[in-house]
Amino acid sequence: MLAKKRKFSGHTPTWCPGCGDWAIGGAIKEALANQDLDPSGVGVVFGIGCSGNMNDFLNAYAYHALHGRAIPTAVGLKLANHSMPTLVIAGDGDTYGEGGNHFFHACRGNHDLTIIVHDNGVYGLTTGQVAPTALKGTISKSTPTGIIERSVSPLAFAISQGATFVAQSFAGDIPHMREMIELGMKHKGLSLVNVLQPCVTFNRVNTYQYYLKKSYRVGADYDPSSYAGALVKAIEMDEEKFPLGVIYQTASQPYHEQVPAYQQDKPLVQIPRISTLHDLVEEFR
Amino acid sequence: MKFNWIIGGEAGFGIMTTGLTFSKIVSRSGYHLLDYVEYPSLIRGGHNAYKVTIDSEPVHALKETVDVLVCLNKATFELHKHELTSDSVVVYDNEEFEIEKGFKEIHVPFKKILREEQGQSIMKNTIALGASIATVGGDLQMLVDMIESQFKKKGEQVVAYNKLFVKRGYDSVVQNYKKLCRPVIAPNPKPNEQLVMTGNDAFALGAVIADCKFYCSYPMTPSSSVLTTLASWQQKAQMTVRHAEDEIAVINSAIGASHGGVRASVGTSGGGFALMVEAISLAGIAETPIVVFLSQRPGPATGMPTWTEQGDLLFAVHAGHGEFPKIVLTPGDVEEMIRLTAEAFDLADIYQTPVIVMSDMFLSEAHSTVSSTDVNGLFSTMKPNRGKTVMNPTDRPYLRYKVSDDGVSERLIPGAKGHFYQANSYEHGEDGHTSETAEDRKAQVEKRNRKQLTYLKHHFKMPTIYGELKSAQTVLVCWGSLKGVCLEVLKEQKDIAVIHFTHTYPLDQKRLQALFNNAAKYVLVEQNSTSQLGQLLRQQAGINIEKSILRYDGRPMTASEIINQIC
Repeated sequence: MLAKKRKFSGHTPTWCPGCGDWAIGGAIKEALANQDLDPSGVGVVFGIGCSGNMNDFLNAYAYHALHGRAIPTAVGLKLANHSMPTLVIAGDGDTYGEGGNHFFHACRGNHDLTIIVHDNGVYGLTTGQVAPTALKGTISKSTPTGIIERSVSPLAFAISQGATFVAQSFAGDIPHMREMIELGMKHKGLSLVNVLQPCVTFNRVNTYQYYLKKSYRVGADYDPSSYAGALVKAIEMDEEKFPLGVIYQTASQPYHEQVPAYQQDKPLVQIPRISTLHDLVEEFR
Repeated sequence: MKFNWIIGGEAGFGIMTTGLTFSKIVSRSGYHLLDYVEYPSLIRGGHNAYKVTIDSEPVHALKETVDVLVCLNKATFELHKHELTSDSVVVYDNEEFEIEKGFKEIHVPFKKILREEQGQSIMKNTIALGASIATVGGDLQMLVDMIESQFKKKGEQVVAYNKLFVKRGYDSVVQNYKKLCRPVIAPNPKPNEQLVMTGNDAFALGAVIADCKFYCSYPMTPSSSVLTTLASWQQKAQMTVRHAEDEIAVINSAIGASHGGVRASVGTSGGGFALMVEAISLAGIAETPIVVFLSQRPGPATGMPTWTEQGDLLFAVHAGHGEFPKIVLTPGDVEEMIRLTAEAFDLADIYQTPVIVMSDMFLSEAHSTVSSTDVNGLFSTMKPNRGKTVMNPTDRPYLRYKVSDDGVSERLIPGAKGHFYQANSYEHGEDGHTSETAEDRKAQVEKRNRKQLTYLKHHFKMPTIYGELKSAQTVLVCWGSLKGVCLEVLKEQKDIAVIHFTHTYPLDQKRLQALFNNAAKYVLVEQNSTSQLGQLLRQQAGINIEKSILRYDGRPMTASEIINQIC
């Protein structure tokens, strides 16, 4: 297991000591190794930010995309080669701010991606401005009198827009993260794993202690298949209560299986050039 | 002899379909054509006019006077009477309205026929089609056959109904106006191998020929029909076409698909392209092949969506922050669009950088004839050249951005066992890892820049010269769709030559300067207000052309306005 995990290790991370990214990175590698994958068999698209910097620390067929655009890049990658499990690793600013429109539509499309969001409430790489996940009133360099907007509600948003697997985890709990990532990857369709991640350098509010106090695991009696129940659970976040676990899951055919040229055993990249133009040309006669 | 037919009427009543059917009959009869639609940016209301110029040889430009004007309403007559001559025939229903005297008249009783056959007003088009075919000496059976195949899916009743109206229109002309009918498209006995298509159709077909497997777009006039055409071909062409949420998603999805190993392309107009620009720069540094179809319309901003302009050349050339190589191709007609589109996919793969294929509303939407033998020939002779794209790398460890003499490194399609790498939007070292060292930065900048030199050496094509450059007194210099109108001038005037650019960026200064050393008067002919090719020639090749003929009112340039300004 350790050897399998080590295959995924790239350069030594440059994250701050104590940053939640260390644990998330470890959990991702464990989840991949646990599924018997190796770096040749995984596609990862990274966003821009501290989380995206994992591109140098995690071995895979990767694309370090533009800020906000990791999701559409991954959508294209998956459609080109659906045989490769495809992850998106990005931050909350990237996914819910700059790339909000893409996130919304990727949920609608039920693209078969596992999106791991590092939800830390701040823009760490640009030294600590508020993210869209920051609580209303949060004071930061870009909001010296407190952010006026309320925070986004990522789980409720994803569920209501068509994501078919929505989970939440906490960067202080590697086994739980690994489990959520694995479940998300095994799920066919769009899976979101929102990871509550303390930024020890710039976020003085959402600390490890804060999440330990305010988060809880959903119990065995919780039913993630209920759409209405999941929404009720998801909006607890608006009251600073953070449920951990699979919040919502439903079965629905993923996007790539519904495109007209889909062949189960032959991804687009392996489909040869057509052999005649005759049918197409006839339209113009 | 060129012959011009126009049909006009209220928008939303089928003028476009009628016009295209007329064009196809012209082609099937063995003649060449160029057609053009004028329409406002509305679904209903306003005026539509469909103009078809017919000739026995390839048509480069629309004829400026009208031989047959079919008026489905009075506005058509009023809007087009300045294009009429005393020989022109006006087809209309004198029960509906009257027109000024001075032209030849064919009265088709649209109203009466509709009444008698209990037809809906949209059938007026069908009657007009029959009447038109009669007026230009076409074959009624050919039209009937076409209607049968067009409406087959809707059932026999619909077919019979349409045939009835076509025949009524045809008969009313043949029976009463035999003398005014001219054998313009009398069927040519030679077997017909022609196709009728627009520049947008040509891009779609070129993409399929090149084995493009992923096309992504967000509808934007005048590029939208590439999306709808390719979407309808997904099974036949074995490709995936995605209408994404916005142009940013469009190009990033295509870049993702291209990284995945398939040939990928996007299409848009200026406003959508503006949203794509950051990702053009991404494709530049990550060295991901991408083909962008950019069909121009008059800007800035929303501008005039359904009219034509060449206002985005410098925007395309300079698109993207930072410095990286890029190739801009500007085909001049439908045939060149097919060929250069297929070439664009090769260039994107060979140089692993963005290639932009430019069109404009005129080229994108005007139909013209191309030889199906040529199209099929291109399909069978073209073997996609993927350059240094590999399924398995030559060296171990594999270095995605290995510094090379030609600036191009092996691009491994993700999935090969035993390897992995990252394509990186950050500056990087040879292995793809992020690097900010001065050495890596310099090495990668220089490597990317070398691709441009390699391109100029191996794939840049000099502009095409039409006419005799040595003896010409006036040399027209143009790019893109202005080729047609310049060739028309060449046909009509003595001592003219035309220089037409298809490989418009980057330019090879040394080789180009030799074309501009003559004593002739060089004149830029462009569909914009600031002579953008002129600016580019100054910047890229040190060539300064003082005189320019520019049009920027959204209407296509005419040969006569060029002739008036050079004589």
